[in-house]
Amino acid sequence: MGEQMTRQNLQISSLLLVGIITFGLPLVLRSPTYLHILILLYLYAYLTSSWNLVGGFAGVLPLGHAAFVGIGAYSSTILYLQYGISPWLGMIVGGILAAIVGIIIGLPTFKMRGAYFALATIAFGEGIRVMVENIDYLGPFNLNGPRGLQIPPRNVGLTNLMFTTKEPYYYIILIMLVAVLALTYFISRSKLGYYLNAGGEEPEAAMSLGVNVARCKLIAMAMSSFLTALAGTFYAQFTLFIHPKSIISLDLSFEIAFIALIGGRGSIAGPVLGALLLRPVSDFSRIYFGATLPGLHLIIFGTVLVLVMIYQPRGLQEPLTRVYHKLLYRLIPEPAGTE
Amino acid sequence: MKILELKNLTKDFGGLRAVDNLNLSIDDGQILGLIGPNGAGKSTAFNCIAGVYPPSEGDIYFNGEKINNEKPWNLCKKGLARTFQIVKPFSSKSVLYNVMVGSFANKDKRADAEKKSLEILKYLHLEDKKDIRAGNLTIADRKRLEIARALATEPRLLLLDEVMAGLRPTEVDEMVEIIKNLRESGITVFVIEHIMRAIMALSDWIVVIHFGQKIAEGIPETVAADENVIKAYLGEEYGVS
Ligand SMILES: Nc1ncnc2c1ncn2[C@@H]1O[C@H](COP(=O)(O)OP(=O)(O)OP(=O)(O)O)[C@@H](O)[C@H]1O
Ligand SMILES: [Mg+2]
Repeated sequence: MGEQMTRQNLQISSLLLVGIITFGLPLVLRSPTYLHILILLYLYAYLTSSWNLVGGFAGVLPLGHAAFVGIGAYSSTILYLQYGISPWLGMIVGGILAAIVGIIIGLPTFKMRGAYFALATIAFGEGIRVMVENIDYLGPFNLNGPRGLQIPPRNVGLTNLMFTTKEPYYYIILIMLVAVLALTYFISRSKLGYYLNAGGEEPEAAMSLGVNVARCKLIAMAMSSFLTALAGTFYAQFTLFIHPKSIISLDLSFEIAFIALIGGRGSIAGPVLGALLLRPVSDFSRIYFGATLPGLHLIIFGTVLVLVMIYQPRGLQEPLTRVYHKLLYRLIPEPAGTE
Repeated sequence: MKILELKNLTKDFGGLRAVDNLNLSIDDGQILGLIGPNGAGKSTAFNCIAGVYPPSEGDIYFNGEKINNEKPWNLCKKGLARTFQIVKPFSSKSVLYNVMVGSFANKDKRADAEKKSLEILKYLHLEDKKDIRAGNLTIADRKRLEIARALATEPRLLLLDEVMAGLRPTEVDEMVEIIKNLRESGITVFVIEHIMRAIMALSDWIVVIHFGQKIAEGIPETVAADENVIKAYLGEEYGVS
């Protein structure tokens, strides 16, 4: 028992160490370019963790999550530009709106399985993009169609979620990421987490054991779309410019799924691991081949995905977790006398 | 008291009548055996009772309440649990995880569900396999896991669909003991089984169906000697020659 405690202590210490490093990084790393890359990395890890509630735990493959990013970004931006409402409040409004849309999308599509569900979510996501692109005014709200919306960088500060340096954005998205990781961790160990996994893997068996599979999936979808929309507001405030083609893009929906599948869907660490591995690929291929081979990163992702699915169908988190546990057990061996 | 009653239960699949005007009832605390040749409609009857398909005609009563169109998860909450003939474990998850899904039917906290599940695994002699991935279990253990999960929901009526198929004789004997113990603990058991030795040893009452229709019923000795039953089981072979 005493030995077990030290092993747990070691795990907590290494988590703390990671925490100190990530929170201390901006003190050392002064380059705005690198901070920008890290902010996007955390953003994608956050988005993928939110996606994971449905795509990982509930075992379906949603490919339209960019729509929720868009709902979040447009809600807070319109409320701020037209009514002067703080983006923090707009963030919550966007989240609630996205949750409602998520439920509306989920109601018919969760009855479908496999590729049909994935295709249906692509259709919804693209449908929302095309609508935004072609609507200048939605009632009183100015969407500005294909031209997108620009947020003038006035009245910067925390209340308007707008800053002239990268550091505040870095800390905000880092805190959001830690929060969503904690949330997925608790859900995965809760009744809802068990029910989602069971319903995803063997729906008939789950139903016979008392699981209302459709309702659990809808709850997960509502949470997932709510959380995804929050990131949309963050992104809008980070770039101060939103544009239907770039924010409600299929490219974004796909990248989230790639990160999840390669990192390991359904696990807590998978989305972070996937983002750590794939974001640099994305960034560098855009920087160096953006003009000559603009889709290169997606081709690389596709190739990596094929390899990972052949050799590690549960994603890269599995072998890495195994190595980590081996290391942990080597550092603190099992005390004699216990099992 | 009747815990389950089927009144003229009929189920059609397109033009095929899988269950045909079936009437039967089970007393609280009884073990009822349902037998019949392959394709007789046994599993279909179970699926209707458990809420997988609504009956085409007829009524199903559980504890005196009509449950014709009730959903499987609600039936589970009312105390009706079942196993699947083709086992459906959550393969990527551990044995304990599988059973905990069942335990959550009556528990909200993880710790309570885990405690309950460990008790059940112990009862079914599966506790030393609790951390094994369900997909890696032997067929005998998978069948046992089906029962463990169903028991975890704390049922009053348990439907067992061929839980002994594919087991070795010693494993069959163990399973017979397990089912008898379940009845001792107050659970009513409705069992489909092809292994005659087991069904004869277990059942208080046996119903025989053929092409969806009831052709005989009675205590095991009577059914075993029934001419219609013998014909139904041997008929196919005579027909071929
Ligand atoms: N979902 C379905 N759709 C169409 N036909 C079905 C379906 N389920 C079962 N059947 C048919 O209904 C009949 C009864 O099948 P059922 O599975 O109930 O038989 P059974 O008595 O359980 O047989 P076994 O002993 O082989 O398990 C069979 O002819 C089967 O092909
Ligand atoms: Mg059957």
